[in-house]
Amino acid sequence: MIEFSTQTKKKLEECLTHYPTRQAALLPTLWLAQEEFGTVTLEVMEYVAGLLDISPAHVYSVATFYTMFHLKPVGKYHLQVCRTLSCALMGGERILDHLKKRLGIEEGEVTPNGKFSLCAVECLASCGTAPAMMINEKYYENLDVQKVEKILDELK
Amino acid sequence: MPKIKLTIDGKPVEVEAGTTLLQAAETVGIQIPHYCYHPGLKLAGNCRMCLVEAEKMPKPLASCVAPVQEGMVVKTNTDNVISLRRSVMEFLLINHPLDCPTCDQAGECRLQDYYMQYDKIPSRFHEEKVHKDKMIDLGAGVMLDQERCIACTRCIRVCQEVAGVDELCLSNRGDHVTITTFPGKELSNPYAGNTVDVCPVGALTSKEFRFKKRVWFLESTSSVCPGCSRGCNITVQHQESKVYRLLPRLNSEVNSYWMCDEGRYGFDSVNDHRVLRARINEEGVSEEAGHEDALVELASLLRETSLSEIAVVGHASETCETLENLQQFAKNSLKSRYFFYSRFDPPHPYSDNILMTADKNANQKGVDQLGFKPLSDLKSAVGVLVLRDLTGQEMELLDRLQIPVLAFFAVNESPLCTKAKIVLPIPSYAEQEGHFINVQGKKQKIVPAFEPRGESRLVTEWLNDLKDLLESAGQKKKIAC
Repeated sequence: MIEFSTQTKKKLEECLTHYPTRQAALLPTLWLAQEEFGTVTLEVMEYVAGLLDISPAHVYSVATFYTMFHLKPVGKYHLQVCRTLSCALMGGERILDHLKKRLGIEEGEVTPNGKFSLCAVECLASCGTAPAMMINEKYYENLDVQKVEKILDELK
Repeated sequence: MPKIKLTIDGKPVEVEAGTTLLQAAETVGIQIPHYCYHPGLKLAGNCRMCLVEAEKMPKPLASCVAPVQEGMVVKTNTDNVISLRRSVMEFLLINHPLDCPTCDQAGECRLQDYYMQYDKIPSRFHEEKVHKDKMIDLGAGVMLDQERCIACTRCIRVCQEVAGVDELCLSNRGDHVTITTFPGKELSNPYAGNTVDVCPVGALTSKEFRFKKRVWFLESTSSVCPGCSRGCNITVQHQESKVYRLLPRLNSEVNSYWMCDEGRYGFDSVNDHRVLRARINEEGVSEEAGHEDALVELASLLRETSLSEIAVVGHASETCETLENLQQFAKNSLKSRYFFYSRFDPPHPYSDNILMTADKNANQKGVDQLGFKPLSDLKSAVGVLVLRDLTGQEMELLDRLQIPVLAFFAVNESPLCTKAKIVLPIPSYAEQEGHFINVQGKKQKIVPAFEPRGESRLVTEWLNDLKDLLESAGQKKKIAC
């Protein structure tokens, strides 16, 4: 059985005060769960459903709709490369291809040491500084292959 | 409620405020095609098939959710509307597997119907279709083919709104969207069969019915479910004296558009384990007999006893008419005042506040109204004539009181078939006309779907012949004197 830490429970209680019903707090609760457990597994979904008094099926529906919930484990550094128009025009595809070669993994995969995972995402709303990617919560902009190499080297 | 006046396709329409355009159009006989809209469910407005145009409206409206407004001028069949429907069809069919030859929905599929009505153009999509899982057993007798699904969410809403459980959901999104249960969990509500009925395409099919029969071969007869005292209105679908499936039939006062799975799959007793010929049991030997031989034998058995001491035992699952006939026979031919009844009494009957009642007999009110008494009240008799069946307890009671079962009017095989001296086959509810009175006191009609099977005859017919035999014997006696 999984359970939120006392600290996360406090955060949840606070969060619930912002919403008219417990059900309405599903998305922020899933975020808290992802922060706490790293992955939104089926077990996590059932736990969240119990917390908010909604059906596991409903939680599953929401968790699978939004792509930023990790249903499978991701690496310590989760690389999300933009593949929408502006970034594509500015060489986003090349960045993605380079990352695949460099890390030896495909989209949706994790390196064997668990350090990196890679995926392509839709618009990061950073068109002015294309091509862009996110690593975990942080933005990296105006990328080129050399810059990407440097960024990877700096990640421990 | 205030009335709203509007015009649909040039026809003046007057409906209550809050009515949707689709419903308003139906009142003047204009059918607007739709997938996600179902009159018994909450509105979803997701399929876009019901788009119509209205004057002064900048964009087409989804008629299933758009409420009527005073003075509205709506057009449901302009070139633009027809081209919109064609576009919706084209999108819906992009990833559709087009496996109609092996799809059980063929013949009652809205994708087929609307394609012929509104689309009729070859696909322009030459790329690889999205592939998803097929033949998924969702549980509760429901099979899912994800590739055929158009994500209308009717099945989700049926589970939520009829059964009151949130078991189905859509997972993922865009062209990867699929209907599913929570992984590892099964569909398990007692109304799950309704998801198959409401599915407008071949995504959800019935495990029980699939591949048994093409739907266009089936005949339909309106009837009433005999599974419990609710008396849900149903359509019996059958061919060549065999029932293939039961579907709920709209009755807003009884069952709305729905029925429970227990009733839906409870037609085995019509197809199987039937008693189809009369039998004469003598000293432990059971022999089949023609109906005349059986009747003559029964008449002579009856004559050996005191007729007025014979008790008749009706059944709470028989029609009012059959029970009345039995009662009249007892009163007039036997001069007996003993009318009892038996009833199906399963040990732990499931019931809920939705449709299913704990009383698994279709006509308890009927036996009550006619003044039949429970068989447990029986104190003595020289013999009994039994209709339909007896419970184990009731058989023990007869043994204890040493009352022989002279005749058993049987639908299905039962221990009584060897215990009774004469067994006479009678038709099931699917082969006779009559009425059941449901738990609300509504008298509802059943209609024969086909002729009585085998050599079974209506109880009335058996009793009339028996009456004639008894009377003629009586006359002979008189003459002999």
